[in-house]
Amino acid sequence: MSDDLSKDPGLLQDFIVESEELLQGMDQDMVALESAPGDQDLLNRIFRALHTIKGTAGFLALEPFVRLSHAAEDVLNALRRGEYRLNRRMMDAMLSARDQLGAMLADLRDGEQHAYSLDDLLHELENVLHSDPPRQLGEILVDQKVIPPEALQSALEEQASQASPKRLGEILVERGMASPAQVGNALLRQRKASEPRTDISTMRVDVRKLDELINLVGELVLERNRMVRLSRDLAAGTVASSDFEAALGLSTARLSFVTDELQIAGLKTRMVPMESVFRRFPRLVRDQARFLGKDVQLVVEGQETEIDKTMVELIADPLVHLVRNSLDHGVEPPDVRERAGKPRQGTIRLEAFQKGDQIVIGISDDGAGLDPERILAKAVEKNLVSQERGRLLSKREIFDFIFVPGFSTAAKVNDLSGRGVGMDVVRSNLRKLNGVVELDSEVRQGTTVRLRLPLTLAILPVLLVEAGSETYALPLRAVLETVRVDDCQVHHVEGNQVLHLRGEALPLLQLGALFATPGTTSQNTQKKVVILGVGRQRVALLVDTLIGQESTVIKPLGSLLQGNAQLTGATISGDGRVRLVLDPAGLVATAAHAEATGCGP
Amino acid sequence: MSVSAPSRELPTAAAHARQELQLVGFRVGSEEFGLDILRVQEIIRFQELTRVPNSPDYMAGVANLRGRVIPVISLRKCFGLEAGPCDKQTRIIVVELNGSIVGFIVDSVSEVLRIPADLIEPPPRLAKVEREYVSGVGNLTDRLLILLDVERLMGQAGSSGLQAPAG
Repeated sequence: MSDDLSKDPGLLQDFIVESEELLQGMDQDMVALESAPGDQDLLNRIFRALHTIKGTAGFLALEPFVRLSHAAEDVLNALRRGEYRLNRRMMDAMLSARDQLGAMLADLRDGEQHAYSLDDLLHELENVLHSDPPRQLGEILVDQKVIPPEALQSALEEQASQASPKRLGEILVERGMASPAQVGNALLRQRKASEPRTDISTMRVDVRKLDELINLVGELVLERNRMVRLSRDLAAGTVASSDFEAALGLSTARLSFVTDELQIAGLKTRMVPMESVFRRFPRLVRDQARFLGKDVQLVVEGQETEIDKTMVELIADPLVHLVRNSLDHGVEPPDVRERAGKPRQGTIRLEAFQKGDQIVIGISDDGAGLDPERILAKAVEKNLVSQERGRLLSKREIFDFIFVPGFSTAAKVNDLSGRGVGMDVVRSNLRKLNGVVELDSEVRQGTTVRLRLPLTLAILPVLLVEAGSETYALPLRAVLETVRVDDCQVHHVEGNQVLHLRGEALPLLQLGALFATPGTTSQNTQKKVVILGVGRQRVALLVDTLIGQESTVIKPLGSLLQGNAQLTGATISGDGRVRLVLDPAGLVATAAHAEATGCGP
Repeated sequence: MSVSAPSRELPTAAAHARQELQLVGFRVGSEEFGLDILRVQEIIRFQELTRVPNSPDYMAGVANLRGRVIPVISLRKCFGLEAGPCDKQTRIIVVELNGSIVGFIVDSVSEVLRIPADLIEPPPRLAKVEREYVSGVGNLTDRLLILLDVERLMGQAGSSGLQAPAG
């Protein structure tokens, strides 16, 4: 590696100093690039830095530098030309390259020279460009039938013959073979493949929310100071006990208030507008509708509705699946629609709104709808229900079969649902979030799917009840009412218990018996019942005592205990004991199952 | 016979050069077991547990571990013994398992042992299902230590019930 030029200390020194500066700048730029992967300025700066290092190093015949910066430069070039989108692997490779250059530079400065084994790194830099070869722009346009293959061929030939080749898209537009919009569309599809994963460990927060939080913390500090003073006064005997009592009461009240507000403000910082989930759909619907040859309009409402950040991740996949379902099986091709007297264009409606302490997300279409007959037939065929029992089922109960894993009435399976998400996964994802899925449909008119999620993940107001010697918590949002009933209102029908309430018959579960809790259940003739509602289904739960309401933090139960459908979590009471939180949906299911099978729970 | 403090290491000069396993030793029933210390998060006194209804027999309940709710499993039940009396010696060994935290109730915890790897023998070739969760047997000078493979134990627990080992 020695050469006259490289022996020139002056030149070498300049190179070292200049490169060190460039590498430092590159460090900052690369970090900035991670949060702004498309920033053209950053990309160009980093590219130029590498290019400069490469040039000067070449001049000085410092081969390792040249090879490494060249490889990194290639990656940068691809990025700034928009051929690839930055992903984690590329980022890592580039940072490794930068670090290696830094290390080699440090050695150079110390007068040492090593033989560097750069093969792995060089290999990796090459690979990140080839690992996810994006489909060529031309290919995509041909696929979309925007241009015929011959046109692509001639455009490529022209490009090859140019001294400084124009981009393929430009050539096509110039020749009038494709519109700028079509090229843009295809380029977006190309980039979709290497979409960087959203980093869930960081998020953007509206500054106003942070201000609110800081304000409240300030209030908290003030209250703490007051209490410290009060405590000191009491110890010093400078306050009369009656005054102290009053002051403590006041302080406690204020503390309570501030803490509640702080709790809410804290949770609010984690909420993001639904827009972040919904924004992928216009493109998705457009691309797929085209692919399927259908004409579909997407209407989105309620983008400003906020949900917890962690929910966003878990909701996205189910929503994509549901929208794809609507596109695939819901909305009919334009001709079919016309024959049915519908407008050729179908509509898919995506909406989100807050109702009480729930977030409701709806996906509806005006398509073919679900045919209960067909679903029932399939269910009978799969031995999920007998023919006779099937006849007694309501439409909603029939729709429930759709959520059984592996159930699909689609005549052929499309390739569209790439991630293998089925309706059963939609439901289980929702359950993870303490939510429910509801399905409603009219054959030939359309289908609506509603996802209901609790407003906040972590804090839940609950109703505490006692059965035997154990205390349980019921999510308050599912509690419709609590009643005292007499023995005569409880009937036994086919091995199950039923409660007659205001002319209605509700399935009744006895909490004590259900959970085999030790301790004797109360022998009062008047029994206490909690009416729980999930969606449109209801169940009556017989308990011994109603303790009261509480707002408490729900803790997950962990994977080991996941199997129990009747439990949704645990909470820690004031005395440190663990109380189990029941899952209303699970209880409703238990009652329904008992009813359907004709044997008690 | 020399009376020396119970030796826990092979009394040869080359011991330090050999690979060693660090284990937490504990008793369940009449047997002594060992658990890789790297899996053990902490050891706590037995505390009141909240029953989880309709759960397997070996699931003793859930406990509050500094604000976190963890499942607690009775190893006695796992091994087919009756639940023992909870006395001052009873402990819960808190283990990190496949990303979750689980507690195991043991009758007593003896000590942290260092065992040279060459004292570990493969589990005895008995055609008994329960030997599935034994990853080896430590042949110490004065006793035999059963090396517990908690992952396999819990894996089995997940699928079907656990078989009782012969006495």
